[in-house]
Amino acid sequence: MSTTEPNHLAIPTRPVRTAKNTVSVRRFFSTWVLHTVLVALSFALVLPFVWLLLTSVKTLEEVGVGSWLPGKGGWRWDNYIEVFRQIPFARYYVNSIFIACWVTFLQVFTSSLAAFAFSRLDWPGRDKVFVLYLSTMMLPGLVMMIPNYQIMISLGWVDRFTGLIVPAAFTAFGTFLLRQFMLSIPKALDEAAEIDGASKWRVYWDVILPMTRPGLITLAIFTFMGNYHSFFWPLVMLKSEFRYTLPIGLLYFDSTAGQETNLLMAAVAMSVIPMVIVFILLQKYLVKGIQLGAVKG
Amino acid sequence: MLFLAPNFLGVLAFTVFPVLFSIMLAFTNWDLRLHNMFKDEPLKFVGLDNFTRLFTEADFTRYLGNTLFMMMGIPFSVGGSLLAAMLLSSDTRGGGGRTWAWLLASGGLVVSVALLAATGLATTGMTILFVGVACGILAMGMLGGVTVYRTLFYTPHFTAGVATFLLWKKLYNPESGPINAALQPVLDTLAGFVNKQPPTAVSGLRWVFLTGVAALLLWAVSKLCRMWNEGELSGRAMVLPMVLLTLPTVVAMYWTQTRGMPGYVLAGVMGSVGVWVLLRVFVGSRAFLPPTGGEGLGTGLMIALCAMTVQFILLGFSAVFANLPAMAADGLEAPKWIASYDWAKPSLMLMGLWGAIGSNNMLLYLAALTNVPGELYEAADIDGARRFQRFWHVTWPQLAPTTFFILVMSTIGGLQGGFEMAKTMTNGGPAGATTTLSYFIFIEGFETGRLSFAAAVSWALFILVFSITMFNWRFGNKYVND
Repeated sequence: MSTTEPNHLAIPTRPVRTAKNTVSVRRFFSTWVLHTVLVALSFALVLPFVWLLLTSVKTLEEVGVGSWLPGKGGWRWDNYIEVFRQIPFARYYVNSIFIACWVTFLQVFTSSLAAFAFSRLDWPGRDKVFVLYLSTMMLPGLVMMIPNYQIMISLGWVDRFTGLIVPAAFTAFGTFLLRQFMLSIPKALDEAAEIDGASKWRVYWDVILPMTRPGLITLAIFTFMGNYHSFFWPLVMLKSEFRYTLPIGLLYFDSTAGQETNLLMAAVAMSVIPMVIVFILLQKYLVKGIQLGAVKG
Repeated sequence: MLFLAPNFLGVLAFTVFPVLFSIMLAFTNWDLRLHNMFKDEPLKFVGLDNFTRLFTEADFTRYLGNTLFMMMGIPFSVGGSLLAAMLLSSDTRGGGGRTWAWLLASGGLVVSVALLAATGLATTGMTILFVGVACGILAMGMLGGVTVYRTLFYTPHFTAGVATFLLWKKLYNPESGPINAALQPVLDTLAGFVNKQPPTAVSGLRWVFLTGVAALLLWAVSKLCRMWNEGELSGRAMVLPMVLLTLPTVVAMYWTQTRGMPGYVLAGVMGSVGVWVLLRVFVGSRAFLPPTGGEGLGTGLMIALCAMTVQFILLGFSAVFANLPAMAADGLEAPKWIASYDWAKPSLMLMGLWGAIGSNNMLLYLAALTNVPGELYEAADIDGARRFQRFWHVTWPQLAPTTFFILVMSTIGGLQGGFEMAKTMTNGGPAGATTTLSYFIFIEGFETGRLSFAAAVSWALFILVFSITMFNWRFGNKYVND
């Protein structure tokens, strides 16, 4: 896989048949128009974030008055520190990342095992089980929520991290996605390994897994992000404050206890920025994964 | 097999078992108000009671209506994604003006930042700030090309969640939010301007838009009829687009905002369209056939959907102009957004649009656009196709499978959506205006405690999702092959 990303999303430019001068003038203008539209659209989409960042460094009195820029109160960068002082924000961060990491690890590991079983091994009833897997993907998650909560109660997992990690860790989607990746790996590779006397486990670990790396990364990003964002399940499961995840913790500044918009915005910024960074770094995999998942699905 | 075991057991325990559990639950009377530590009535099998209750209690149908209303934003967001993808897939790096544009942008950036630092923090600061942000985007775009814009477009979707919902809650705040702060002066000027005009001139403008609606309706209907007559459209494929086409007019009759509009006008439009259809269909060259097959359904639906969207927009404008003089008389007031019953749903839809333009849909469209064979464009160029013709005859048909997939997924997602927004922004209010089915399930299942009823609602939701998927699956291939 090449490390640089060529401009592969562009339509191949069509040959132009008019005289050369007209062409360059026309291209100049069309480039300008295009850039103007692109900038305008990006601008509109980015504007809320600009307001977010500026509000996060205002004093509370200046929130919602006139200018977007901080006024006489100055640029209050210590709002960001104040967030940590008022709520155990670091704790929420750690909780969120801890849970998301565990879910991601379990998800990727078990899904890759199952995908291996579905794509490489022959066993009776395989296709039937796979259809079962596929059919569970069509069910709305909401159908499972209420029974799952009852299961959590009877297992005693309410308000515990296990209750957040385990139910989220096993999905048919991950298996399905990785199976698609694995099917595109030529069978000759693992046959060759088997002739050399490799066990099934060795084939999985040394041949298939390295070849599926982009798929694993894609699934990992999906799972991590999905879990980092997840709101419904932590909301119903978590009772004690020190176990809150970020999305739940953020609600504090918007509750009746506090209406401190500037601090809220600082907290929002801090919870959003890691994702933006992750996206910028890993977008190549993400884009590919989304496209693959859709084409095959 | 050992390989399968961990994942399979997990899926079994936390997906398959809950599903079966949930089916059972839907047929019992498990209600935490009846079965708790103080009061323990026997758990009974109640048959279909929960499901009949869906239709006897007003809530379900009302919240289903809310959900469907919010789903009307889907065509807009899909259109926006397509637009964004097409913009991104044009060659932004080409062109002779690149260096100059780059210089200009970075110059603007430097100047505005310097001015910002110098002038400090007044209203002029705002202008400089905006110019600076725009120039910054341009400069980055010039440097990084498509990837930068793609990242910027994608960010709202990528960060969408509780964090950005809270952000929008503050943006929408009627008193302290920036949206109304920016809108109010504009509205004041507008009110002043309108008050100086004769009221009939302003409200007369609505006729322009109404004529537009009628013309569009006629155009789409005659297009459909022509396709029908030429045998491109089967009878069955005719019905659904027709229903969609007439939907805006029907809605307009009952919509509170359009009450001022004379009903007989709309009825007249509808009547004449009906006569027109009958004429076209019966006098047309093709004999009336019993409805068979679904050929052309996709194209018909697309025409109908586009026409429906534009109709709604035009109707909205005509309603605005009809009421403008009366409203402007005592000064225009910016809407209360999520705090007002009428505006809450549109507000959430607008926010959804913000997140949906640069979403996964855009990425899918980008991939699909790359796969359109270049020869097709060359052929179109040789035939002398204009820009729009190139789009309509080459790009759009080639994108059909993607559009289809996106629409299916968005519909499924839309039916299940709305919980996070409702919970973080509005608590389902005002007066239940933004309570969608998913939020309803949450309330019944986790707050009221009517577990069985909530399970029944979730199964009703599943049946909806399932039937839409089946419908799409059956007609999908035909659409894609059109």
